[in-house]
Amino acid sequence: MDALNHLLAGFAAALSFKYLMFALVGCVLGTLIGVLPGLGPAAGTAILIPLTFSLDATGAIIMLCAIYYGAMYGGTITSVLLNVPGEAASVVTCIDGYQMALQGRAGTALAIAAIGSFVGGTLATVALVMVATPLATLALKFGPVEFFALMVAGLCLVVGLAGKNMLAALLMTVIGLLFAMIGVDPVRGAPRFTFGVEELYDGIGFVPVVMGLFGVAELLLAAEQRQARIIQANLNKWMPTKEERRASVGAIGRGTVVGFVLGLIPGVGAIVPTFMAYVIEKRVSKTPERFGKGAIEGVASAETANNAYANAAMVPLLALGIPSSPTIAVLMGAFIINGITPGPFLFQEQPTLVWTVIASFFVGNALLLILNLPLVGLWAKLLKIPFSYMCTGVLIFCIIGAYGLKQSMFDVWVMLGFGIIGYLLRKLDFPIAPAILALILGPMMEKSLRTTLEISGGSFAIFLERPVALVLLTVPVIVLGALLLRPKTFSKLRESDVD
Amino acid sequence: MIIRRRTLLAASAATAATIASPAIAQNYPRRPVQLVVAFAAGGSTDVGARILAAAAEKDLGQTITVVNKPGAGGQIGFTEIARAKPDGYTLGFLNLPAVNTIILDPERKAAFNVDSFIPIINQVLDPGLIWVKADSPYKTLADLTEAAKKTPGKISVCTTGILSDDHLAILMVQEAAKCEFRIVHFDSGTQQLAGVLGGHVDVAFDNVGSVFKRVQSGEVRGLAVTDVERSKFLPQVPCTKELGLTTVISSSTRGVGAPKGTPADVVKAIETAFLKAINSAEMKEKMDAVGLALKPMVGAEYAKYYADTQAQAKKYTEWALKMR
Repeated sequence: MDALNHLLAGFAAALSFKYLMFALVGCVLGTLIGVLPGLGPAAGTAILIPLTFSLDATGAIIMLCAIYYGAMYGGTITSVLLNVPGEAASVVTCIDGYQMALQGRAGTALAIAAIGSFVGGTLATVALVMVATPLATLALKFGPVEFFALMVAGLCLVVGLAGKNMLAALLMTVIGLLFAMIGVDPVRGAPRFTFGVEELYDGIGFVPVVMGLFGVAELLLAAEQRQARIIQANLNKWMPTKEERRASVGAIGRGTVVGFVLGLIPGVGAIVPTFMAYVIEKRVSKTPERFGKGAIEGVASAETANNAYANAAMVPLLALGIPSSPTIAVLMGAFIINGITPGPFLFQEQPTLVWTVIASFFVGNALLLILNLPLVGLWAKLLKIPFSYMCTGVLIFCIIGAYGLKQSMFDVWVMLGFGIIGYLLRKLDFPIAPAILALILGPMMEKSLRTTLEISGGSFAIFLERPVALVLLTVPVIVLGALLLRPKTFSKLRESDVD
Repeated sequence: MIIRRRTLLAASAATAATIASPAIAQNYPRRPVQLVVAFAAGGSTDVGARILAAAAEKDLGQTITVVNKPGAGGQIGFTEIARAKPDGYTLGFLNLPAVNTIILDPERKAAFNVDSFIPIINQVLDPGLIWVKADSPYKTLADLTEAAKKTPGKISVCTTGILSDDHLAILMVQEAAKCEFRIVHFDSGTQQLAGVLGGHVDVAFDNVGSVFKRVQSGEVRGLAVTDVERSKFLPQVPCTKELGLTTVISSSTRGVGAPKGTPADVVKAIETAFLKAINSAEMKEKMDAVGLALKPMVGAEYAKYYADTQAQAKKYTEWALKMR
């Protein structure tokens, strides 16, 4: 009941004019980012962090969260109209969404995506309200030992889920961890790999790296490609038929569950839940042959799972202080910049802020529905702006943003350098997400490992003595083992079901 | 073209004027002043700094902007202060003994030394606090040290960072009570809280300002304040001096300093404005609310305190380094 009271107070604050405007601006900017091909939620959120510097902490977090789930939604529009995923998690939406658009049902596809996103996001937030506080209490039982085990499990999952790219993902994880070592040793204070460069004492800035690897790299890639042709569709006809509605209800329900559950597990990432929801939908369908040819359930399940995941992923961040995906890692950076440490004490020490932010998730989801159902035509028009203008504009914004982080040119060079690295990696088909996640988890992992060893007096046996840690370390070993022994099952699952 | 040439001329004239005006002090300050805080926004140092900046602005007659440059236990921010142009427009918070121990640890390769800063005025003296979980078997500091004597290196105690004032306080207790702990280094008071309340570590060494509310509410138990007198925020908790541990005196003090070379009259102007702010009733009320004890020190007194801290830190830092 306590949670409910806090939540109601949170609603009162979130619905105040000021915070409502912040949420609205965030949703609009987020959708914009999602619509612009190439700029995904991680880069978008990172780029827009400097925008929020002048806001108070609550306002800043509300706006950045709105940008995050706005971007998760906005990706749908390009997926349906251009067959280009606006962000990685919308890949699955392209499959049936684009087919629907070719059949003249683009309006319906976008409408069901908006409705699914709203339901998935809202239900996931309801579950978040119920789960987060008990989890935060439980989180105290999570010491450095368990944290280390959890993060190892998370990184193993990232590698394991990379499918046929497993080796590349492993390599990228290790590279991410190596870059995470740069800076002052977290325990003894000696500088490492800094080569006397003062700016490196505090490590490589996470935000400029993300802006480079995701933002600048994607802009470079986008500049190379020819602009895809947009489908001219009558977007005013969006109401799903009775049959379509019936088909979608189950898909939205299942998508919510899949998205929420997977959102709780660090390292899963946004793509897996959408894939999995789609595959499940195809399996339970009586007419699986319709999938890939414009099945509305395909769009509904993927988009619902996508947004349920986006909201569920806030649970480990708020309750444990662990980011489970690159975008959440960026959000965590924003929390810290604003002087807020996510983790078990957040609900105790900043109840007003947390509950206002959680209430704003509901508000934001509703705003997105309003923004997207009637206004979808407006967003579609944006796609007609020539890339050359758009890319230049965004690049300039990135540079200003990177400079604004610490008023230093160093971060700008880091961003541009990593932009080129990211471009090359993408060209060589190396996954970038594992490196980003390793980069943010690296320092936390190192610190928790070394604290663990301080607690145990240097003995590694402590990992075998703590049951939770033992389980957490065993699961990824089994998963990885299974994947290595029978790699075909997994790649088959990914490819055959989606083609 | 004409316009551009004129702008250029004006710009170069302005540059020349800045270079050729050594007598800046006469009309100091003419533009906003930056106050560098070497710790993150929202932390104890930052909270105190922002209260001070807001109050001193009125007397200084210019905006004072708090700039957080956290990282590496303060090293990033302190370096920034030491390297700033000594014109009075970049000041910074000096956290003692953090500044001292960074200088003393050769592994840190600090880009500054004791003489890099002019200590102008101290604001806060936040004494150390030794605390345990409310249901801990240790009811007093003596319980703890006795137990530590019986089981050397078994009882875990945590700091807020290597060579922090908390770490030095642990070394002082070990020396005074002739016992040995297992030392665990965390980064922040929040981590200590999670560690001790979660049962992962037995004892925390932190400061009064960060935990006094939880001691008052009974959530945790304060064993001792590492000071010569009790804290006004925790009158029920004994101080180490009355417990007979007269060498266990440790605190975190925070004051304003300027880079070496700042003109004396500028330093004086800053001292006057900040001292007036610190002595105001409004300041006292605001600092009481956040549990930070004011300890104004200026001039020779503050300079001596700075030197004494350096000497005290030297002894324990050498110890700590030997144990590595």
